[in-house]
Amino acid sequence: MASFERASPALKEILLRIYRNHSHNQCCSCHYSAEKPIEVDHHLYEFGSVEYHIKSSASAPQLTYLSISTPLLTQGVLLSYGLSPYTTQMVREISTDVLEIVEPATEGYQLTLRLDFSKIPRGKDSLKVITEVSSVQSIILSSQLKEMLQSVNSWDASQGMYKPIKLVYHPREPFYVIRQPHKIVAVFPMRFKDYSDVIIATSFFQELMDVGSSEKWAKAPPCNWSPIPPAELRGEPLEDLSTNGGFVSFDISSRHVEGKRLDKTVWSLLNFYAYVKHHVKCTRGFIQRRMRRRLESLVEVLQNSSLEDDRHIRKFQENAGWQYMKKLVKLSSKSKILKRSCRDFTRKIMRIRFRIKIHGFGRFRRRWLTMLKFSSSKGYTKLE
Amino acid sequence: MANTLRLYLTCIRNTLEAAMCLQNFPCQEVERHNKPEVELKTSPELLLNPVLICRNEAEKCLIETSINSLRISLKVKQADELENILTKKFLRFLSMRAEAFQVLRRKPVQGYDISFLITNYHCEEMQKQKLIDFIVQFMEDIDKEISELKMSVNTRGRLVATEFLKQFV
Repeated sequence: MASFERASPALKEILLRIYRNHSHNQCCSCHYSAEKPIEVDHHLYEFGSVEYHIKSSASAPQLTYLSISTPLLTQGVLLSYGLSPYTTQMVREISTDVLEIVEPATEGYQLTLRLDFSKIPRGKDSLKVITEVSSVQSIILSSQLKEMLQSVNSWDASQGMYKPIKLVYHPREPFYVIRQPHKIVAVFPMRFKDYSDVIIATSFFQELMDVGSSEKWAKAPPCNWSPIPPAELRGEPLEDLSTNGGFVSFDISSRHVEGKRLDKTVWSLLNFYAYVKHHVKCTRGFIQRRMRRRLESLVEVLQNSSLEDDRHIRKFQENAGWQYMKKLVKLSSKSKILKRSCRDFTRKIMRIRFRIKIHGFGRFRRRWLTMLKFSSSKGYTKLE
Repeated sequence: MANTLRLYLTCIRNTLEAAMCLQNFPCQEVERHNKPEVELKTSPELLLNPVLICRNEAEKCLIETSINSLRISLKVKQADELENILTKKFLRFLSMRAEAFQVLRRKPVQGYDISFLITNYHCEEMQKQKLIDFIVQFMEDIDKEISELKMSVNTRGRLVATEFLKQFV
């Protein structure tokens, strides 16, 4: 299965591009300015071993050949080769005008379709037709399961019960379908590689059970989860029943397979494994993102505590310096204050008197015009 | 419930205040080396008696002190399997990024979920009260974060289950 969407996004884009090129050429052909038709030869590979081959030649630009190779649903040991008439009929019903099955199919592929783009209706319907053609792989898979559910008789007279039908889409992910008189039970043995995946999935299954058992979702099929195999699987091989994620079972009643609901139900059952694995992966990503955000906030607390220290210390130092200065000023004696103020006054007077300032004169004056002190308090004379 | 948590955290805080009296002490065995003695445990005279504070069987705190270092090991409560894996993931995530926290140990002590190693250098760079506040706040935040994570995971599961069942209706 490529994705939960039925239509393959890559295939849809390529077919749309071919269709638009073709319709553009058709419009421009009457003005003799049409572009040269292009050759198309694409190989697409999608998740789930799905392969597409799209081919269009310049000689017949309105025709495109689409070949598909997809793993088919197998019933345990019995392998199904090729497509059943029911499946080919379902494929034809996609669009009888546009689509034609080519037989035999291209080598290496199970189905080859010839698409006639000239028959696609113009406007919005063209997108709808191309989307339906792009979902051919999902139609093949769904029709197989529908056919199995409708035609296979698994009544075992010796045991007086219906035998489970084992369906294998992915080699390591088989699931069981058990037909009962009034319902069909689909059982999914769940296996995970990692223990934490098991726990996350188990909590999801418990929520699924809780939600399914509520009144609001009474119309949905009842869901059960158990760590041990259910009674319906008694007698199956041990290797198929050994799991670490338990068993999830859905009770499908006639209401869920009526009309258009059959298609939705079948598609949901086929995609259940992928759905659970996708949810587990997204939950792990969510946990990781949340942890990273929390880490930032926790580290910030520690960094703030260090930064606040620095701020406090710097403030303290500044305050301490100012307080020290204050103390110094307070402790100086009155006589010293007086001497200092006199000195400042004398300097002011000298500055006023000596208005003419000669650059370098102060140094000259200090060196040559000062009186030598013969009696120095220090006991020596400072030499310059 | 909140009462017992308050008492538990208060007891840890008081013990840390008493234990966090660290000083620089060079290694006695190898010259010019300075190692946290609580990790080596080679000189019994440099080690104090470890203190184990238990809130219940699942939650406990071990405080081991030495002359120049202090080791705090925490065991976080894990009520069920989901909390168990969330706690393991989260604390392992933090331990792997221990350099961002400076005081966090990369590997927890055996039997515990997370460990801190505080040395005399940390006490010189950071304020003692702030360090203790950080440890206590960390314990509260871890509990809160695990509970929120668990609730978020369950809420997500419920939303996804609802979306899945919508396809059948």
